[in-house]
Amino acid sequence: MKRRITQLHPFTVLCLAVFTVAVATAASVWWLSCAVIVMCLAIGAVAGKARKLAALSGAIMLPTLLSLLMIHGLASRDSSPVIAAWGPISLTRGGAEVAMMLALRTAVLVVVGLLCGLLIDKHQLVAAIDLSPAPPQAGYLLASTLFLLPQMMEKQHAIGEAQALRKAGTGRGLAGWLQRLRLRAVPLVLSSVQDAHDRSVHLAARGFPARGEHSRLRQVADSQIQRGVRWVALLCSVLVPAAILVPFGGAA
Amino acid sequence: MSPNLLLPEASAAQLLRRRVLGAAGTLLLVGTYLFLVITQPTGIVEGLGQGVALATFAAYLIAAVLLLLAVLPDLPVSALTLIPVALALNIILGQFVGSVMVPLYLDSIGTVLVGFLAGRRAGAATGVLSTLIWSLFAPTVLPFAAGAALVGFLAGTAARYGALRRPYLAPIAGLVAGVLVGVVSSPVAAFVYGGTSGVGTGAVVAAFRSMGDSLLSAVTKQALISDPGDKAIVFLIAALLVFALPKRLSGSFEFIRRYKVLGKSGNK
Amino acid sequence: MMDMEHRAPVESTSALHLRLGSFRYADADHDTLRAIELELSPGSLTVISGDSGSGKSTFGGVLAGMLPRQGADSCEGTFILAGQRIDYSPEHSPRIDVAGWARHLGLLPQDAGLYLSRIRQTVAEELVFARENEGMPRKEMTELITEFSTRLSLEHLLERDPSKLSGGQERLVALTALSAANPSIIVLDEPLAGLDSTATATVTAMITRLRAAGTALVVLTRTTEAWEAEAETLLTLADGTLRPATRTARTAASSSKPSGFAAAAASEKPLLAFAGVQLGYKGASAPVISDLDLEVRAGECVGLAGANGTGKTTLLKAAAGLLKPIAGKLRVTAESGMLLQNPSDQLFERTVTREIAFGLPKKGLQRARVPRILEQLGLASCAQTHPYELPASARRLVALATVLVREPRLLLLDEPTEALDPAGLQILNEVIDSVLERGGAVLFSSHDERFIARTAHRVHRMPRQ
Ligand SMILES: Nc1ncnc2c1ncn2[C@@H]1O[C@H](COP(=O)(O)OP(=O)(O)OP(=O)(O)O)[C@@H](O)[C@H]1O
Ligand SMILES: [Mg+2]
Repeated sequence: MKRRITQLHPFTVLCLAVFTVAVATAASVWWLSCAVIVMCLAIGAVAGKARKLAALSGAIMLPTLLSLLMIHGLASRDSSPVIAAWGPISLTRGGAEVAMMLALRTAVLVVVGLLCGLLIDKHQLVAAIDLSPAPPQAGYLLASTLFLLPQMMEKQHAIGEAQALRKAGTGRGLAGWLQRLRLRAVPLVLSSVQDAHDRSVHLAARGFPARGEHSRLRQVADSQIQRGVRWVALLCSVLVPAAILVPFGGAA
Repeated sequence: MSPNLLLPEASAAQLLRRRVLGAAGTLLLVGTYLFLVITQPTGIVEGLGQGVALATFAAYLIAAVLLLLAVLPDLPVSALTLIPVALALNIILGQFVGSVMVPLYLDSIGTVLVGFLAGRRAGAATGVLSTLIWSLFAPTVLPFAAGAALVGFLAGTAARYGALRRPYLAPIAGLVAGVLVGVVSSPVAAFVYGGTSGVGTGAVVAAFRSMGDSLLSAVTKQALISDPGDKAIVFLIAALLVFALPKRLSGSFEFIRRYKVLGKSGNK
Repeated sequence: MMDMEHRAPVESTSALHLRLGSFRYADADHDTLRAIELELSPGSLTVISGDSGSGKSTFGGVLAGMLPRQGADSCEGTFILAGQRIDYSPEHSPRIDVAGWARHLGLLPQDAGLYLSRIRQTVAEELVFARENEGMPRKEMTELITEFSTRLSLEHLLERDPSKLSGGQERLVALTALSAANPSIIVLDEPLAGLDSTATATVTAMITRLRAAGTALVVLTRTTEAWEAEAETLLTLADGTLRPATRTARTAASSSKPSGFAAAAASEKPLLAFAGVQLGYKGASAPVISDLDLEVRAGECVGLAGANGTGKTTLLKAAAGLLKPIAGKLRVTAESGMLLQNPSDQLFERTVTREIAFGLPKKGLQRARVPRILEQLGLASCAQTHPYELPASARRLVALATVLVREPRLLLLDEPTEALDPAGLQILNEVIDSVLERGGAVLFSSHDERFIARTAHRVHRMPRQ
């Protein structure tokens, strides 16, 4: 089962995600949103990533929820009963409901999106983009960023060590902080911009970006069924919300 | 078979296609924004709210992708290798700043840097890509791609018209860019998410709301408070970083040479 | 856009004919290269030597069509490559298709890692990156990989992650990827710098195989010793122009072994002492170094020898206080200063002077020492240059200068000879001597056995894992 999920074509996963988010947002009923979130966590558990998924989405959703409660709960202008009050500030029931609805809407996007990020193998995604009609630059930029990130973190660490050896950047207060920012940023930017520049000529010499057809050695498993699923999912993510919203909009 | 040693000239048909894509993206963005501001849809949660949320989300995202497709094929390889560096810098320097609890986001230093070094197209592409890739880790940023594109675009434009020739001009350009970006991005925050995602910014919006503002105007006012300052600092930092680069390196970017971004060449 | 005359095939048996009148970088005030004439025949080996900053890499770039950059550098000259004639003139430089050019002439850059795309998961994918861009069908690519990896014996690396290769392996992979296009000429910039003896042997063997297959090779190098036996043509690059080189071996840099100090040192107190020390990194399964016993006394110069990956850098970092031992006792009783393997990490100022004076009190004694240090390291002429604009050798000396201004008694050097040219080596030897003379100690790591033999009083060999 786990292998099944991780071996899906990356685009299939993405299309299904678009479909899920579109339908759940359009329907905007609390039980559907909750069901989607629970289902995502279950899939995450099957793939062995449930804990990471929960931690990451929690980190994003908590501040969002607080912010929404403040905006809609505290400053609500409706006359629904007050749940709690701290001096002049009070939280109304109507306001809290609005905030919860909005938070659920965002939560669906966050959980589904993060699940995609965790399920899709980055190299497969890059290969799939390369093999699609998208411009060849797109795959390069995605791949290069994902691989550069850990490398530059390491570089950042090495620079920190080098500065420590020179006993630089030990100041305190705002001036010290600015000094440290400069000592970190300047060598990092200098060396990485130089590296990027030197690299570019050799990339060009290796025929990048391809001007005509290009191919990939890596294979991305795909099937007729998955291709069908993708089209249906995309079509439905336009049609289903339209069907839900159009009569509704007329009534509102 | 003997491959050519010389490059062919660029064809006019390709150029036209890119123009059309770029124009379509811009139109979609401006159209959506105007529609939202003029009609001011209400009822965020019931009925219409979801339609507006989905439509705004889709329109901003599609506009950003169209703009990306328009500029990507034109970028020189030296800009292409620079973009990933910028994306990583956005994240790493953003983190360094975030770790000391300064109330700024500073998450666009790399984007602005590319705008300064490689021009507005590369800057815009960096903005969009930065958002797309960052969304793998934080999906909520997706519809802000258009705003990020605008940051890069404005940085490139500012550099082209001389914002880097004097150190004090950069933060001023940043201030102006911050106003524009704040205005353009607030409909996303208001209509897609119904507010903001930070606790501090949320408090500001709540304060404006309690003074009787509509959600959109409250969010816009909040953005106008925090964005210009943030962008002014980002533009200043990015400018200082560009000044720190050796002349030989900065001079190797065609954009810098062509528009004399750093002032008269030869003032070593 | 080129007229017919330029396209006309040229009668010639040589793989390349070049006549270069001059080459000048944008914003430079003199020609970096001038009056060069070069002809390469298939299967030949041409070795071009020159000091750091003499223009070897520049020449490599010109050969590979990467220089002059359009609209920036100015160049005058004529190429005849693959039967096509390309004319450069100051008014008009043709728009070169570097990818097409690379089919005929491949360049292995000085830092081979730059050649790798850094976006592929396995070496196999990296090898065919250029073919992918040409749209070669998958089946042909698989065959190509099999063919080249057996021919150049690279099978053991095919499934490895290209970003986790050692310097020597990186060079092998880049070289294989280069040759997969079957170019008639390959230019190698410093192919042996910084490699240990095993890696050197592997790279040399690969070069011999490529030559046997009829590829013309050009090697750009600081020292010719390793190549004199094989090369057909030996040239030196000096003052921007090529001259035939004399075949006599270069006299080794002077600096006889300063034996006097070693005897005196025995009685001194140790400045640095490891006793049963174990060193390792967080998250790694096994420690890098275990049961290390080493003492360095005042007046003593100790060399660390050992293959790649045996923990020389780790040891030095621990001595500098960057790494705490997991077990055992480490005692450092003197102010220490360390030169890192990669000098760029240490540099962040706009000029060499500011760089060296960074962080020193305005009116202190150390600040007053800056001009003398510049003089001592031969950097006085580039005091106002950006450190990044210096040639590799000088940049390394700048990093050394930033350490020396603080007059450490214990000097730690990680691969100090890497990137240094003969003049730089001479300066390094003088610096080591001066530290020893004023009662300090030096601990350095190196691959260069001859440098160790010449400089160190004592050698500590790192045990193989
Ligand atoms: N982009 C550039 N713009 C201007 N001058 C440059 C540029 N690159 C190199 N130079 C200068 O050209 C000269 C030759 O440099 P080059 O890198 O070719 O030397 P090298 O012989 O390869 O040195 P090394 O042995 O250190 O690699 C040096 O003086 C250098 O400062
Ligand atoms: Mg060189």
